[in-house]
Amino acid sequence: MLLVDAPLVARREVARGMFVLTLEASEVAETVRAGQFVNLGWSPGPLLRRPFSVYKADGERIEVILKAVGGGTSQMLQMKPGEMISCLGPLGRGFDLTSGPRTVALVSGGLGVAPMPLAARDARAAGMQVTWVHGARSADELCSEADGDEVILATDDGSKGFAGTAVNAVPDADLVLACGPNRMLAAVAMRWPDAQVAVETYMGCGTGVCLGCAVPLVRGGYDRACKEGPVYRAADIEWSMLPSHLPYAISA
Amino acid sequence: MVDVAIASALCDQRVSIDLSVDVGGLKLRGPVMAASGTFGYGTEVPLLERLALGAMVSKGIFLRPRAGSRPPRIVETPSGMLNAIGLQGPGVDGLISDYAPQWAQWDFPVLVNINGESADEYGELASRLDGVPGIAGFEINISCPNVEQGGLYFGNDPRAAAAVTEAVRKRTDLPVWVKLTPMVTDIGVIARACEAAGADALCAVNTFVGMSIDLNARRPRLSFRTGGLSGPAIRPLAVHLAHQAARAVSIPVVGIGGIMRGDDALEFLIAGCAAVQVGTATFVNPRAIAQVHDGIAAYLVSHGLGSLVELPRYLPKD
Repeated sequence: MLLVDAPLVARREVARGMFVLTLEASEVAETVRAGQFVNLGWSPGPLLRRPFSVYKADGERIEVILKAVGGGTSQMLQMKPGEMISCLGPLGRGFDLTSGPRTVALVSGGLGVAPMPLAARDARAAGMQVTWVHGARSADELCSEADGDEVILATDDGSKGFAGTAVNAVPDADLVLACGPNRMLAAVAMRWPDAQVAVETYMGCGTGVCLGCAVPLVRGGYDRACKEGPVYRAADIEWSMLPSHLPYAISA
Repeated sequence: MVDVAIASALCDQRVSIDLSVDVGGLKLRGPVMAASGTFGYGTEVPLLERLALGAMVSKGIFLRPRAGSRPPRIVETPSGMLNAIGLQGPGVDGLISDYAPQWAQWDFPVLVNINGESADEYGELASRLDGVPGIAGFEINISCPNVEQGGLYFGNDPRAAAAVTEAVRKRTDLPVWVKLTPMVTDIGVIARACEAAGADALCAVNTFVGMSIDLNARRPRLSFRTGGLSGPAIRPLAVHLAHQAARAVSIPVVGIGGIMRGDDALEFLIAGCAAVQVGTATFVNPRAIAQVHDGIAAYLVSHGLGSLVELPRYLPKD
């Protein structure tokens, strides 16, 4: 876990209202694994940091992907290159890509695309055939960047690709990795109990001390998305107790 | 950031500034402690970040393991946050087997934040933990707003507060501190009751009870409905209450509430507190405790004060 000042380098739009921010954070870029996240803060900004899966990491830079969903993310999207973001990470336990499957399906909905480029990188490095399955409500909300030996897009309204959800568009694969709204992940759990899913929770510290990011487990009790997660075996989560949407923050 | 720069420049001089304090039966190397529930059991935080710790107060425990509350457990509010964790924890057996042996190796004291549904339960916890290597004292939590039974109830009533304090006092010779709730009409009444019942120090204050509503769902954002408000939003309220408590008693008062930097801690110290606890700031900045410590040191140096004892206090007695 590192705490570094990371200058904002660039911003690009990859879908309507969805942006990728590039930060210079070489130590984080070198060590981050697919599915891990960074907790970002800035000054002046909201009190709490904001957690983001690392979208891409290349050389000295990391990228995160976001939409303006509240005051904090709106501020982030107004920042100019050169402005400093405090970056805590890499945090959490990422995807396990060591078990030796030959094919992997990376299934994402909306902003759930966040951990998938790194997952594609690491899966390919492990010798896997990568199928990229990405869904959104409509064509203009699909992330324009994809990375797979096969790419399948899906839209709820049928405006591009498969008409329906990303989950319903997934072909056979030895391993399924998924990220998206919690109700989508609950559907993944029904179909592929052994899928690895990256969950989204509201988060306080990101370092395991506040117990705010509780994930309810089928075996009873909770553990921490920031430490034991954010990646879980899909069938281990008690989906009925995980909020389907987050209580987004209010800024002062 | 300015605090850090000054403190770094003063690094060599730091040895000449005496920040040690005696608080309620414990000699601390510095006045900045980790507040309960914001530092886990100390095991998640890298050793480097513990160097400035005067002491640590563990996450609150009950006799038995507790699962804690359903999510959502936290929500950000203007300059603060609400939490309703629900005292998730391993219970006394887990604490003794998993954490106390590690604490016994550390070079700063660890106090255990204890909780119960009755005065007897608090007493039993103290009995079980008394004499366990690694446990230097107790912080009685009579102020947790996030449990259905006990917690805040004991902190609202001077007789109940005294009964819990006495139940613990009778079962241990270790330092007994009592963490007070701000949700009272007159904190001085509760403070005096705890002092009379044998407390060695008081901690003021725990979180304020608050509520935040999701306008889309038209219901509370937290699953527990209410939560404890912490962070800079409560600082002026907390400084006032800590000051009121300190005026009311002759035992030390530990100030808590929205401390993010050295200057914030100094407000509590000047208002009559012997030491401080840093909580929510640690969530935002893993180095917060060290920076608060260094900020206090930098202030003392720049004002020509050689030790914390020399810091003038504003504390007219009641």
